Amino acid sequence: MLIQQLANGVVLGSTYALISIGLTILFGILNIINLAHGEIYMLGAFVAYFLVTLWGVNFFVALLVATVAMGILGVLIERTVFRPLRDKEEINYFIVSVGLLIFLENLALLFWGTEPRSMGLPYASQTVKIGQVIVTVQRLYTVVIAVGIIFGLHFFIKHSRMGKAMRAMEQDREGALTVGVGIDEISSFTFALGSALAGAAGALMGSLFIVNPMMGFTPLLKAFVIVIFGGLGSVLGAIVGGLILGMTEVLGAAYVSSAYQDAFAFIILILVLSFKPTGLFGKR
Amino acid sequence: MNSKKFWLWLAVGVLLIFLPFLLKDYPLHLVNISGIWIILALSVGLLQGYVGEISMGHAAFYGIGAYASVLLTMKGGLPFWVSLPLSALVTMGFGFLIGLVSLRLRGPYFAICTLGFGEIIRLIFVNWREVSGGPDGITGIPAPDAIGALAFTSKQANYFLIYGCVLLTIFVMYRLIHSRPGKAFMSVREDMIYAECIGINAMKYKRLAFTVSTFFAGIGGCLYAHYEHFISPYSFTVGQSFDLVTMVIIGGMGTLVGPVIGAILLTLIPELLHAIKDFRMVIYGLMLMLVIIYLPHGLVGIGQWISGRSSKS
Repeated sequence: MLIQQLANGVVLGSTYALISIGLTILFGILNIINLAHGEIYMLGAFVAYFLVTLWGVNFFVALLVATVAMGILGVLIERTVFRPLRDKEEINYFIVSVGLLIFLENLALLFWGTEPRSMGLPYASQTVKIGQVIVTVQRLYTVVIAVGIIFGLHFFIKHSRMGKAMRAMEQDREGALTVGVGIDEISSFTFALGSALAGAAGALMGSLFIVNPMMGFTPLLKAFVIVIFGGLGSVLGAIVGGLILGMTEVLGAAYVSSAYQDAFAFIILILVLSFKPTGLFGKR
Repeated sequence: MNSKKFWLWLAVGVLLIFLPFLLKDYPLHLVNISGIWIILALSVGLLQGYVGEISMGHAAFYGIGAYASVLLTMKGGLPFWVSLPLSALVTMGFGFLIGLVSLRLRGPYFAICTLGFGEIIRLIFVNWREVSGGPDGITGIPAPDAIGALAFTSKQANYFLIYGCVLLTIFVMYRLIHSRPGKAFMSVREDMIYAECIGINAMKYKRLAFTVSTFFAGIGGCLYAHYEHFISPYSFTVGQSFDLVTMVIIGGMGTLVGPVIGAILLTLIPELLHAIKDFRMVIYGLMLMLVIIYLPHGLVGIGQWISGRSSKS
């Protein structure tokens, strides 16, 4: 029973990690706290949902399309919403992202209503047994894909030219600008990457649970908890924090109270902020 | 105050006194609801405009005020007039405790922390059925008790109650802002480290502002419960907290007029323009983005710009 719960926790935690990494790189590299990140996650889920249900596209292709589409949306958002505020106080980024959140969520509500939708994938009901643990095939795919994306990202940030430029920007903004790292280029690219990760996470979660316009908000808050818990700007922190929160929620729902499942995250948040505001892997 | 200004204020005062007798039932209802939102927006505006911290969980304090007053009057049997200040004090107590934790953070972290507290409190409203009535809420909340022959069942009587509280809120906030604590708030907003260097205990003043702010949120909640006779957790969600932040920003931060204008506009616009009612939130979101990018001082900023130009010429 306990092992089964832990396995469910890993599934939840791996998607949490994907959303949180997007949020944490935006903060670490651009100092932007993007509250609309959860809405991009929601839109990613909808793109995959429509591709799968309306056109009968293979889920993996739909996942890829959703990821790329959200990456493009991320660039558009950076250009139109965040770039005009670059030289102003940082709190403005935050407020503008609240506006974007309200705008995107309610636009989606207007078009798609509140009804819960399901992709109805064939693998969602097939199960496999690994030792004592029973998981659906779709959940297994989710974990494998999430882990794959995380490793790919790690490799990209460590070794590619753009990844190096991003790290340079994170370590020393002025220094990076001096040696010719283009701020416009990095801003757009970071947004593309972060939003693509959110889109992938949304498509994966949408394949396991329901899709609706309100689905983005709670994961966003949880991603915040994870990012603060793991240390702002830390990718490793986002992964570890995501897994810990996934486990805590599943275990808390099973052994404490399922009505307050969504509250555990905030209790962790308040405890972390009160006792160790820099988080597990924070630098300051 | 010159005589021209005096006559202007007198005219506004007379209009406000006769307004409830000129309006029909539904428009008056909207005016009353705007009054409650004015109190709430002022409460958020004190924090956001003068201390520079954005609370994204204020709907929870609004809710605490409402639920506290309902429990005090319906289960505790207290008259409304005792419950009004008492429920505000209860809210303030919660505000003080939550402020102790959340005010250690600044900027976006403070905002997210209050958002988290707001969600926890909302989940308690939903799940603690024995006390809060759960998602169905509480119905049959009594109107404020009559004073002599004056019964608070009509919209007119409630208008005077609500706008009495609005005036009280404005008066207290005006006095607070134009006194030593008010100057301290603004110095903390401008530069906290510098403020502390010149001997201002920043934490103390932030706590003061937060506590006062939650007190008035509690007043707003209490008025709302006894005016609508019904409350449920759906009236105190993140959506309402965002509405309040939007009202303050669109009206203009760092003024008392701004939140008032913002609250009235955002309550009346969707009613006046029925065509946009469904798009209400989409438009709020868009307005919030446009205002932050192009009009950082809100609508009050436009007003100041126009009056500045006319006084120059």
